[in-house]
Amino acid sequence: MASLIEIKGLTKKYRLGQEVITALDNVDLTIEEGEFLCILGTSGSGKSTLLHVIAGLELATKGEVLLKGVSITKMKERKMATFRRKHMGFIFQSYNLLSSLTAIENVALPLVFDRVNKKERLKRSREMLIQMGLKDRLRNKPTEMSGGQQQRVSIARALINNPKIIFADEPTGNLDSKTTQEIMEILSEKVRNSGVTMIMVTHDLNLAEYADRVIKMIDGRITSIVPNKKVG
Amino acid sequence: MNKLDLLRLARQNLWRRKMRTFLTVLGVLIGTTSIVVMLSLGIGLGEEQRKSMEQWGSLTMIEVNRGMVFDEKGEPVGEAKELNDEAVEEIKEIPGVTVVSPAYNLHGEARMGRKEGGLQLVGLAPELMDQLEFKASEGRLLQGGDRNVLVVGQRVIDNFWDESERRAMARGMRGPGRREEKDPSEMMEQRIALTVHNNNNYEKKRKFNFTVVGILEGEYGQHSWQAYAPLEDLQRIRKFMLEGAKSRSDDGNFSQGGVMTGGTVRVERVGRSRSNSRDTDNYDYLLVRTAGIEHTSQVSEVLRDKGYNSWSMADNLEGFEKTSRTIQAVLGGIGAITLLVAAIGITNTMIMSIYERTKEIGVMKVIGAAFSDIYSLFLTEAGMIGFLGGVFGLGLSYGASHLINHLVRNYISGGMPMEEVVNISLIPPWLALFALVFSILIGVVAGLYPAHRAVRLSPIKAIRNE
Repeated sequence: MASLIEIKGLTKKYRLGQEVITALDNVDLTIEEGEFLCILGTSGSGKSTLLHVIAGLELATKGEVLLKGVSITKMKERKMATFRRKHMGFIFQSYNLLSSLTAIENVALPLVFDRVNKKERLKRSREMLIQMGLKDRLRNKPTEMSGGQQQRVSIARALINNPKIIFADEPTGNLDSKTTQEIMEILSEKVRNSGVTMIMVTHDLNLAEYADRVIKMIDGRITSIVPNKKVG
Repeated sequence: MNKLDLLRLARQNLWRRKMRTFLTVLGVLIGTTSIVVMLSLGIGLGEEQRKSMEQWGSLTMIEVNRGMVFDEKGEPVGEAKELNDEAVEEIKEIPGVTVVSPAYNLHGEARMGRKEGGLQLVGLAPELMDQLEFKASEGRLLQGGDRNVLVVGQRVIDNFWDESERRAMARGMRGPGRREEKDPSEMMEQRIALTVHNNNNYEKKRKFNFTVVGILEGEYGQHSWQAYAPLEDLQRIRKFMLEGAKSRSDDGNFSQGGVMTGGTVRVERVGRSRSNSRDTDNYDYLLVRTAGIEHTSQVSEVLRDKGYNSWSMADNLEGFEKTSRTIQAVLGGIGAITLLVAAIGITNTMIMSIYERTKEIGVMKVIGAAFSDIYSLFLTEAGMIGFLGGVFGLGLSYGASHLINHLVRNYISGGMPMEEVVNISLIPPWLALFALVFSILIGVVAGLYPAHRAVRLSPIKAIRNE
């Protein structure tokens, strides 16, 4: 596998009142194309910060993130927005759907920003939602759906652009174990079948078994990298 | 994001908070209405003033008289320049002047059928009459080549009385000069015989016959009291009046005979003295038509500088317009303050909306909304509030304007039907357009700061905001 993302000496510090907190401390990491990577750690370990910096949502204090040789850390915020729209998908713990929009409208939203015409984007969104098993929920608002259904809508939204990388931040954090399993099946199947790269952040050890490789983080440092589903 | 999606999303967002949107729109509505109604009052008042002035004389006409020239304080400063053909040519050359007609002016006894009376007669170049702002309500105006014809003003008939009217007047039942309801059309096609006396020998008199071919429009102003005949006819009459021995001092007053009653608007120039032989060939006055109202006072100025004695209704207009502009500015200012308050309301609403939608804005940014998308979305929402307020405000303005006009009309006329429609409040199309554009602009400007804040929002912080 060719390396997709290279992270070199990544450091992120921020000030909290009088204290300077080091969220990321000189992190080096290479992520392969088509890989399902799980970042495991407790809260405050810096795992979410790492995800945000890789996705260009937060600025690094030091170090570099290269995406296929192109530096994301040096990219302007405007350009980064376009880049995210074209190549990245996001899944969050709290789904982050727009409550005023229906399921199909939520899924279509990235396409709205991408200036895809209405007919085309609704068609694609419908297909995606049907794939997610939400055929009967197309016109429902998020508040009219269960947590699992909402997360499936948000997965559909993350996939609608055919992204190269999907970032998932505690995707099952709000779900019961049965639904968690469903969601994880969907995600891992997507990685196997479409060759998309998945970077998932979680504190749940059980989820790690779906990943190709697991890295553990404590206090902003990577303490272990475990391949092949052997998590200790 | 394309424009249609932008509008759709903005509308959805506004619709989500109906009450708040409604209240904000209401603010703009009141602001727009107040500014439009206030301005419409200023415009309406100015327009009424202008109309009432136009009744008393056209605003594109200047009269150049002979006689004394007075300074601003009313002190005589000397004899005005003579009004001969040279003067006509000179005045024609002044920029802004389109037509110059020489004119004579005389008064004589007249008879129309069984009615007798006096005629205030003006002679002017017949071929120029249609270019001098005269309009015929019946028949026609004078034309080139006309001889012995008259075009009369609407009130000329008031100076003619038959036997019974004369007796009634003598008994004091009807005072002369009081406006009688006589129909001017009565004069149409009538033959009028004008009798004039020789200035040097009062016993010598002659009759000149005219046929009325047209009645002028307008019940007010000096046109309405005068009869108009071709210049050459008046030259003929003057020749008769002035012939004979040269008089001594005041032969210029050839028109003293036969004045029976009031209604004389023009004051006869009395006591001309110098160089009578030349003076008799001079015109009594010149009628000057300008290219437009905006030229009139300017041309008037030039004429005065050249030593002519010029008079125009428009001379008064400048002062009126200044007043009406001041009124407009004051009224508009009051309206502007209201609209400013409304603009602050929009800003406030949009900032509140950002607080509420912080997370949503974050999500949009994470999934790839460009800066410009967020910016346009908030500006569009603010602009829509402005637009809605503008549209409904304009509607309300038309209603309010209508109501004001209705009330004022009833108040002025005391419920009696009026001849002239008075519109104290006037909304011209440009004002309506201005109100719309301005309200949208107010909305967009008020949305600038909130939109900027929305764009600056950090997506991660926004998403964490639960």
